[in-house]
Amino acid sequence: MSTDFTVEDIKRADDRRRVRTHRAGQGRIQSLKLLWLLIGPGILVMLGENDGPSMISYAQTGATYGIGFFLPFIALTFAMAFVVQEMTVRLGAATKRGHAELIYARFGRFWGFFAMADLVFGNLLTLVTEFIAVRAGLGFFGVPPGIAVLGALLVVVAVVLSRRYWTWERITLGFAIFNLIFVPVAVLAHPVSSQVVRSFFTWGPLPGGMTAGFILLVMSNIGATVTPWMLFFQQSAVVDKGLTTADIRHGRIDTGLGALLAATAAIATVLATAPLFAHHVDASNFEGAAFAQALAPYVGKVGATLFAIGIFEAGLVAAITISASSAYAFGEVAGGARSLNSPLREGWLFYAVLIAAAAIAAALVLIPHAPLVFIVLIVNVIAVLAMPPAIVFLMLLVNDREIMGEHANGPTANFFGISVTILLVLAGLVYGITTIFPHLLPT
Amino acid sequence: MTTNTESSQRQAELPKHAASWVHEVLEPDQFSSAKQPFGRQRLNRRTIILLWGLRVYVLLMVLLVALQAWNVFHTAR
Repeated sequence: MSTDFTVEDIKRADDRRRVRTHRAGQGRIQSLKLLWLLIGPGILVMLGENDGPSMISYAQTGATYGIGFFLPFIALTFAMAFVVQEMTVRLGAATKRGHAELIYARFGRFWGFFAMADLVFGNLLTLVTEFIAVRAGLGFFGVPPGIAVLGALLVVVAVVLSRRYWTWERITLGFAIFNLIFVPVAVLAHPVSSQVVRSFFTWGPLPGGMTAGFILLVMSNIGATVTPWMLFFQQSAVVDKGLTTADIRHGRIDTGLGALLAATAAIATVLATAPLFAHHVDASNFEGAAFAQALAPYVGKVGATLFAIGIFEAGLVAAITISASSAYAFGEVAGGARSLNSPLREGWLFYAVLIAAAAIAAALVLIPHAPLVFIVLIVNVIAVLAMPPAIVFLMLLVNDREIMGEHANGPTANFFGISVTILLVLAGLVYGITTIFPHLLPT
Repeated sequence: MTTNTESSQRQAELPKHAASWVHEVLEPDQFSSAKQPFGRQRLNRRTIILLWGLRVYVLLMVLLVALQAWNVFHTAR
């Protein structure tokens, strides 16, 4: 028997031993304990994607269109996210490789380079927007930008230095659950329940109809739920957590639960800002803190405070998860450490990349006159546009029976996967056409 | 990538009894330094055309977005 294993392997084996113990047990309590042990990557990726720009996008949606078309549309985008992310669970569990590692191994450096370029560019821009959200959220409480950004960066570093995937995952989950803070804000906004229910059946109303602004918000809302970093992060996290093919069912539950929680928070944000639409408040140039201040007359001081905390939390959790996705991808491509279980001595480069990714973004946010509004404007749209090639790689990998065996996509999964790809390409094309020919739609 | 010497040094620091249960609990590919390499997948012509098409699509669209956002940004100022 080979004894060639590392400290990282022992930590992962320790987690797997607990899973094995609870899997062998009987009864509902044991099942719940097993679920508790196996959830994580799915909830983190979904709540992580409810990040700063996403929550601003949902807030903008509520303030511009009120209760109507966008409520069922947001639910649909999370269904799309579930379809895509479920495939990464199977890929990770069946191959025990991260997404970047698999793309390089199966398609070579040439195509791998493009996938990584999309990821690195997208992650850097998105990380910048996370620190903008942190700054905006804490700015509501009078915290100076430098202290807010530096504090968030220190949290990212502190969580990582646990050098244990399990600890990192549980702490981040603890932060992520605060995404639901938008639910009490929605309650304080007193939405008319019959209007909410009707919107899900009628996909309306859509005040103003199809305009260029509507197309941009559609793109932003899609970009708020399906993005390339999510594919890389969840697959790598599934591998780092040590999930196997026996855990795929729980991986699906984890992803579904994440989609449900994230959709709830997203819809709650639309409901929370709907009073701004009802009172004709122009929110087109609002950032996080401005939304909280503008909402105060309608949801009270408590509601506004919760909203600002929610924006801060959204930025912080995404900063933690997105910087991890960058480090995972780097480690997988460079052939070095690629685990949050790595000891510092062996995984120093992995941790350095993770911290550097967050630190560079944090520093950019603090540069005077940096084009932050420009970055916020384009980040979600770029995420949507970069998604089709990423999904094609995903579909090729998940249909590859040589590596997936019996866990490869069936006809149903392919139908949904291809549908999502076509939808994303169409959304991008509509956006492109309306940008080149702006007079096709009313402004 | 770890060398055998590095690996042996690390093992020397690990508890001796760890070997049996770690091997019992983890599947072979779950060990950090013992993954079997995957071979390259041969892409057919249709897939290559699709990948190139999407690459061109992304580059054009990103340019378009940058242009539009730049216009919006400057109009706002």
